[in-house]
Amino acid sequence: MIQRIFLTVLLAVLGSALAIAAGAQKPILDGYASQAKAEMSGFSGFSAERGKVFFLAKHDASAETPSCATCHTADPTKSGQTRAGKEISPMAVSKTPDRFTDSEKVEKWFQRNCQSVLGRACTAQEKGDFITFMASI
Amino acid sequence: MTKPTRSLNAATSIRSVMVWDIGIRLFHWSLVLAVLVAVLTGFFGSPGTTSLHLFAGTSIAVLLLFRIIWGLVGSTYARFRNFLFRPSQIIARFRELKAGQHNRYLGHNPLGAAMVIALLLVLLIIVSTGVVVLGGTLKQGPLAFMTPYAVGSIVKEVHQIFAFGLIGMIGLHLAGVIYETLIGREKLIHAMISGKKIEEPHIDHPTTVRTHVVIGLTSFIAISAFGFGLVTTLSAKPGLGVPLTALDSTYEKECGACHYAYHPSMGTVALWTGILEGLPNHFGEDATLPDATKTQILHYLLDNSAEHWDTRISKVLAKPNPDDPLRFTATRFWTRMHSDLPEALFKMKPIGFKGNCAACHQDAKRGLFAPQSIDIPQGDKL
Repeated sequence: MIQRIFLTVLLAVLGSALAIAAGAQKPILDGYASQAKAEMSGFSGFSAERGKVFFLAKHDASAETPSCATCHTADPTKSGQTRAGKEISPMAVSKTPDRFTDSEKVEKWFQRNCQSVLGRACTAQEKGDFITFMASI
Repeated sequence: MTKPTRSLNAATSIRSVMVWDIGIRLFHWSLVLAVLVAVLTGFFGSPGTTSLHLFAGTSIAVLLLFRIIWGLVGSTYARFRNFLFRPSQIIARFRELKAGQHNRYLGHNPLGAAMVIALLLVLLIIVSTGVVVLGGTLKQGPLAFMTPYAVGSIVKEVHQIFAFGLIGMIGLHLAGVIYETLIGREKLIHAMISGKKIEEPHIDHPTTVRTHVVIGLTSFIAISAFGFGLVTTLSAKPGLGVPLTALDSTYEKECGACHYAYHPSMGTVALWTGILEGLPNHFGEDATLPDATKTQILHYLLDNSAEHWDTRISKVLAKPNPDDPLRFTATRFWTRMHSDLPEALFKMKPIGFKGNCAACHQDAKRGLFAPQSIDIPQGDKL
C-alpha cells in the first residue's frame, strides 16, 4: 500500500518535471503560432520535419554562410563553431535545455542569422518549425 | 753559450705564475656563455626565446657587477688600475706590433686591456638599454612603471646598434687572442683556463696586492640582494599606460558571443566607430544590436580605445591597412608578426580563424600580448 502511494507520487513528480522540461519553449512557440496564423491563412501548426529540412537547406544569399548547418553543423546535438572560432553550444534542447526560453535572445539571433543566411527575415512558421525541430531531438 | 741555456731550463728561471685568479676565469667563461645565449636569442630568437634572452641579460648584469667589484678589490691582475694604460702606451703597442717586436705582458697587454675595458662598457650599455626597452615596449621589468612606449622603442635601436658593435668587438678580441697565440706564442686561451702564464725574469709585473676576498664577496652578495629586492619591488608596480580593469560585461557578452572580445585598447576611435556603425554587415554577417546596447558598447570602447593607453598593442595596430581598415589581421604589423605560421594552423579546431587572438595569446583578454604568454595549441585539423 505504502509502496503504491510512493510509486504514484514518484510518477507524478517525474511526469510534471518532464512536462515542464518539454514545455519550457511553449510560450515562445505559442507566440510564433499566433503570428503565423496572422501571416498565412492555412496555418495548421508547426512541423519538426519541415524544421529539419529548413535547417539543412542551402541558400544562396551568402557564400560564407549558405546554411544554418554551416556554423551549427548538420547534427544539432553537437557543438558548432562561429566563423570567428568561438564554440556554439548545441542547438538541440536535449543538450542545451535553456535554448529558446529567452524571447529577446531568440529574436536577436533569428533577425541576425536569417539576414546573414537567407538575406531576408524568417517567417513565423519557419521560426516555429525550427524550434519544434530542435525541441524534438 | 751553454750556461744561459741551462739557466733558462732551470726551474728557478722558467716558472708558471698565477695571473688570472679563479674568480676572473669563472667570470670570463660564464660571460662567454651568457653573451652567446643573449646574442643568439637576440638576433635569431622568436617570442618563445624572450625569457631566455632576459635570463641571459640578467646573468650578464650580475657578472658585470662581480667584475667591477673584483676590479677594485680582487687579485693583482684583476685590478682595473693594473690594466688602465695611457693612450700613448696603447699606441706604442700598435707600433711594436707593426715593427714585429713582441714585448710580453703577464696581465693584459695595453691593446688587449683597452678592448677589455671597452667590452665591459659596451656590455653595461647593452644591459641598461635592454632594461629600458623591456620597460617601454613590453611594460615588464623594473622600469615598466615609468617608461613610455616611444622611449622604449627608440632605445631599442640603440640596444641593437650596440649589440652589432659588440659582435664586431668580440671578433677583434678573438682576432687578438689568435694573433697572440700564433705569432706572439702567448698561450692566452690556456692561461684563461689554468690561470697561469710563463714568467720570465725580464717582464715587468705590477706590485702584488692583497686580494680582499671577504670584502669582495660580501659586497657582491649584498649589492646583488639589494638589486634583486629593488628590481622585484619596481617590477611589481603597474606598467605605465597599461590597462588594469576587466572587460565591460555587456561588451564581453554581446561581442564575445561570436568571437574573441578584442581588447578595447587594440582599436582607435576611428576603428571602433567604423565597427559599431557597420554592424548590419559585420565582416559579411549581420550583427545588429539594439540601439541602447550599441550606444553603451560604443561609449565603453571609445573611453578605452588605443589613444588612452601606452601598450605595444595599442601602438602597433593603430596603423590600419587602407584596403581593409577595420580588420586587425590585415595590418602590416599583424602580418609581419605571424608570417612564420602556416596558413593551415589558423584553420585548426581551437583557433578557427586568424582573429581568434586569445586561442594562442593567453593574456589577450587583458590586452597585454606578452611574448612569454604565447601558447600555440596543438589542435586537431578541421
